[in-house]
Amino acid sequence: MGASWLDPHRRNRSVSDVSPLEAEVAKLIVRTLTLKVDPAQIQPEEPLFGDGLGLDSIDALELSLAISQSYGHQIRSDDPDIVATFASLRSLCRSIEKHRTK
Amino acid sequence: MIWMALSVGRPATRALLYPICVYYLACSRQASQAIRPYLIRALGRPISWRDLYRQYHRFAATLLDSVYLLAGQGSRFDIDIQGLDLLTDRVARGRGCLLLGSHLGSFDIVRTIGLTQQDVEIKVLMYEQHMPIIRDLFRDLNPAFADSVIQTGSPNAMLQVKECLDRGGMVGILADRLVKEDQTTSCTFFGKLARFPAGTMWLASILHVPVILFFGIYRGDNRYEVHFELFAEEITIDRRHRDQEVQQWTQRYADRLEYHCRLAADNWFNFYDFWEEHQ
Repeated sequence: MGASWLDPHRRNRSVSDVSPLEAEVAKLIVRTLTLKVDPAQIQPEEPLFGDGLGLDSIDALELSLAISQSYGHQIRSDDPDIVATFASLRSLCRSIEKHRTK
Repeated sequence: MIWMALSVGRPATRALLYPICVYYLACSRQASQAIRPYLIRALGRPISWRDLYRQYHRFAATLLDSVYLLAGQGSRFDIDIQGLDLLTDRVARGRGCLLLGSHLGSFDIVRTIGLTQQDVEIKVLMYEQHMPIIRDLFRDLNPAFADSVIQTGSPNAMLQVKECLDRGGMVGILADRLVKEDQTTSCTFFGKLARFPAGTMWLASILHVPVILFFGIYRGDNRYEVHFELFAEEITIDRRHRDQEVQQWTQRYADRLEYHCRLAADNWFNFYDFWEEHQ
């Protein structure tokens, strides 16, 4: 769990082209992981892990559980696309859109 | 060395450990300096070179024994197991468990017990980049053992842990050593603060599974004692007080670790500045 979301420069970037689902999932991420960041400031293409939002693998587990509960999409570790799924908010939402049951 | 261990046999290979340990005692000042404060605290008395030598020898002997364990020769060891019913009861009920260990004693002796239990899936969460050479050697010896490792660091590592537990399996974690990206929590260990990984207890609270401690203590010759003890049926942590509650649970772990260190001081295999006193 890094602290890259504390980076003040991030907040000045413009937010553009965010789909309704992306806005919704951004809120889910912030709420689930109690991040101290405005969901609207999460850039859709920014990496969720490491240098981007700074999530770690325990966050990924919590997030997967929350996504399963909210959208009925169970992300599995043996999914060949798992790295791509967790790459960014946008890729995560693409995966949710494809597999959601609710 | 592995070839020799398996072809020449354990007694002859063990004889080699004496000069190896003397060499390390003489040449590895950094490790000796690091282990000294631990030994003074755990033994509660001034220490001599014999204590240091014993530490090296215990470590080398268990590492060598890992070769035999991985090669499927576990039957050559006299293993006294205490508390195994804690595991078997939960396995019988199809309940997955987290097994928390440490670098006190041998991890592989416990893995062996786990893998010889019928129909129990056992995985180990590990940061393997520490020792790639040993990993490769062990992979050659026993691919099944190697396949039981879940590598930390990838986004899906904890998903693999959850899926294994959901299938009624066991996942082992060594909870006393930090890797570089770990969040940490400070706990009193032998009367002085030391940093422990904070993620372990938080992970356990998310998984809602029983947590069992284990210690695989080497007692010399071919004798091992394996202790299992129940740590918690479930760890509950309130996210609003996360740091504080993670610290409290980790402190309980540190207390149990300290207790077992006092019973088997020579089994401590963290050969580095554990309290970070010289940084």
